[in-house]
Amino acid sequence: MKRMMLVLFLTAAITGVVQAKVDLVTLPSRETVQLTIYNSADMTLVRESRALTLKDGKNKLQFSWANTLIDPTSLEMLPKASADKIDIADLTYPPSVRNLGLWNIKSGVSGNVPVEITYLTSGLSWRAFYMGTLTEDEKTMRLQGYVRVTNNSGEDYENAQTRLIVGKVHILDRIADLARRQYPYGRPGEAPPVAVPRSALARGEVRVLLARSRALSEKLAEKPKEIKKEGLSEYFLYTIEGTETIPTGWSKRLLSFDVDKVPVVNLYKFEQERYGNFVVRFLSFKNDEEHELGETPIPGGLLKVYRGVGDQGHLSYTGQSSFKYIPVDEDVELNLGAVANVVVEPTLMDFETKNYRFDRNGNISGWDEIRTFKVEVRNTREIPIRVEIKRNFPTQYWELKKNGEFGQFEQVDLDTVKFTLSLEPRSKNQFEYVLTTYHGVREDDWRPLVSEE
Amino acid sequence: MNSKKMTLMAIVLLLAASGVVQARIKLVALPERGATVIRLDNPQWTLIEEERVLTLQQGINKVDFSWKGVSIDADSIRLRALDHPGKEVTLLNVSYPPNEAALVWEISCADNYAENVRISYLLRNIDRLITYKAIADKPETFVDLKSYLVLRNFSGEDFDKARVLLDYGEAFEQGIDHEETKQMLFLKADKVPITKIWTFDAAKLPWDPEKLENKNVGIPVSYRIVNDANSGLGEFALWGGKARLFQDDGQESTIFLGEDVSGMVPVGEKMELYIGDSRDIVVTQRKMKDIQINKVENNNDKVILYDTDEVITAKIENFKDGAAVLTMIQHIPGEWDMEKCTVDGKEWKLGVDYKKKNANTLEFEIKLPARDEDGPAAKELMMHYHRRHVRPR
Repeated sequence: MKRMMLVLFLTAAITGVVQAKVDLVTLPSRETVQLTIYNSADMTLVRESRALTLKDGKNKLQFSWANTLIDPTSLEMLPKASADKIDIADLTYPPSVRNLGLWNIKSGVSGNVPVEITYLTSGLSWRAFYMGTLTEDEKTMRLQGYVRVTNNSGEDYENAQTRLIVGKVHILDRIADLARRQYPYGRPGEAPPVAVPRSALARGEVRVLLARSRALSEKLAEKPKEIKKEGLSEYFLYTIEGTETIPTGWSKRLLSFDVDKVPVVNLYKFEQERYGNFVVRFLSFKNDEEHELGETPIPGGLLKVYRGVGDQGHLSYTGQSSFKYIPVDEDVELNLGAVANVVVEPTLMDFETKNYRFDRNGNISGWDEIRTFKVEVRNTREIPIRVEIKRNFPTQYWELKKNGEFGQFEQVDLDTVKFTLSLEPRSKNQFEYVLTTYHGVREDDWRPLVSEE
Repeated sequence: MNSKKMTLMAIVLLLAASGVVQARIKLVALPERGATVIRLDNPQWTLIEEERVLTLQQGINKVDFSWKGVSIDADSIRLRALDHPGKEVTLLNVSYPPNEAALVWEISCADNYAENVRISYLLRNIDRLITYKAIADKPETFVDLKSYLVLRNFSGEDFDKARVLLDYGEAFEQGIDHEETKQMLFLKADKVPITKIWTFDAAKLPWDPEKLENKNVGIPVSYRIVNDANSGLGEFALWGGKARLFQDDGQESTIFLGEDVSGMVPVGEKMELYIGDSRDIVVTQRKMKDIQINKVENNNDKVILYDTDEVITAKIENFKDGAAVLTMIQHIPGEWDMEKCTVDGKEWKLGVDYKKKNANTLEFEIKLPARDEDGPAAKELMMHYHRRHVRPR
């Protein structure tokens, strides 16, 4: 399935021969190859090293890539030795031939010259996904992160050093579109590149599954390969230990990290405007050392959460949540969906109006509305939980008085407050608040609850 | 291969052709194209200058210039005698035959000459692009900048050998066939200093990331390059084009950082290239107060004019291992004044600590230290301001 070809021929040797420009000197094969695969866009940076046999004088090097998805405008060749004696005069994309580039090289040396060829290709992708296994008491979770690398590029990359980039890269053109262009740089008069919305760059789902027992690596590895992680600019670079061979059409799953006993908080949220009358369950932890994590950011992906049941190692499936990118030291909140075993019930218990104001015509121009709410919170589970209740008010001219065990209280923004309660297993809590809202000219008499200082 | 089939040139001598009116006789001599210059100094148009030798006879000569399969702006065609300009060789007029891509020059000649002439015209579908490739060092303090010239010839004409001229620099010799694209390195500048910029524009980005379900807000990151002598540049304007940025990964390899299109950057001006988004700087901006004050009512007790009392807070967290300077753009519409602006409780003064970019736009430079053992570095900006003389809509 080798689709890429590198042909070197010497012009010196073919003087006089015009039509058949084939005077094959060497067909250097790829010595090493490195893949740097992105996941925010369908794009991979390929770097391969080859040894060319150059002759003193003019050399032509032909590089062709039929049935692959290489962006021809990204092609670059750099000599890794005698660089000062080798001049790459130009790269020509000849007429009426597609997927072919011709380097004109003036060499001051003859013999073997190692070169590095880099280009961007489409068709390789990776994504992160996670498996979480909660202990029975749901106090800690084993978190396993995986990466899955898929090769649909049309080219087999054998023994490639594989690296993955976590980050959002700004690109103007899809590499696949550039690869399919009739002319590498288009024709004059064609529209210049326009930035495409980045959401449109997401790749479709990959269909290939790995055959169960067929080991793709040559020998049985004694332990899973490690993935080295390093921050570069605004991105993170994951380097997979050793090399990988992923034939075109195949994908491969690799363990990125495996952390046991991540302390988790069972957090439940209630906000009528956002989630309706249901309580939504979240698993909360932090990407830091205290939680056995915090070495690197966690790339976005899907997390499936299981819970250990009994001592036979059985599992029960709890739910799944999509993960966003989590920087180091940031809180993680995983939405596992609505639940019925934790209940929050706000009830309007009393309503009155007062402080009426009238205008010169005797019409009402201002008044206050006073509402008394009872909020009941019930934890029917056998584990301790934390509950966050957000209340949004229709106006910013409000005042609040609280009664009972309301836990922590904070104003989120001008018309939102948050109550945070901790509940013991199988327990219930109740608190009350009195909300006074000012209307009409009564707004002028309102004084803010919190100062900005 | 020279002057391949497309541009024909024929000289018709009036003396020889007298009496023949209807069928225009072509092809008396087909002079070879001599030195050819492709001028690419105009971003929209490409000017071709070609030299030929015309065998002119004493008296009136008609020279027929026609083309096929190429797109020439007929009004742009000029002829210039090089050996005997002026009275000895004079262009009398130019006429255009009907329904033909051609023109006829009427030239008056004082003697028999083998005259060198230069014909110039604007040719479509041949142009040049500029692309940039920059490799940043690991700490992102400079880039090694390369610029490539990409010649694209879809004009219908093959140029075997031509002198190619840009708006600066030396001309170079280059042949290019029809439908051929050639890429050449034409600028190499090492160690060009860069400034890395993170920008939060409150009008463009969401304020409260908590309200987004599982989505990160990326803070746009750009590299700024100044086209001046300090940068090892500044000799000529940098043409606009697509720029691809890479970074040295410290392992004898690079990663691709991102790409952007730059406009033309004149000498002394800045080029800003947006490379990607940072998700390690998080801004949570909230409005904490927005009320009406100083209300004025009309005779019907209706408010017709008021001021506002508004408070905005923005918490900025840096989860990165390195320090960063975040440029924060805030917008306050209409007529306004700032009552108090603080960063971490310390008062900031307009014009001293932060800038007014225009009547309604403020720019803050928030210096963020690196994340430490206690967690992300956090700063809080607070703006307490009043919008004045607001009329209810």
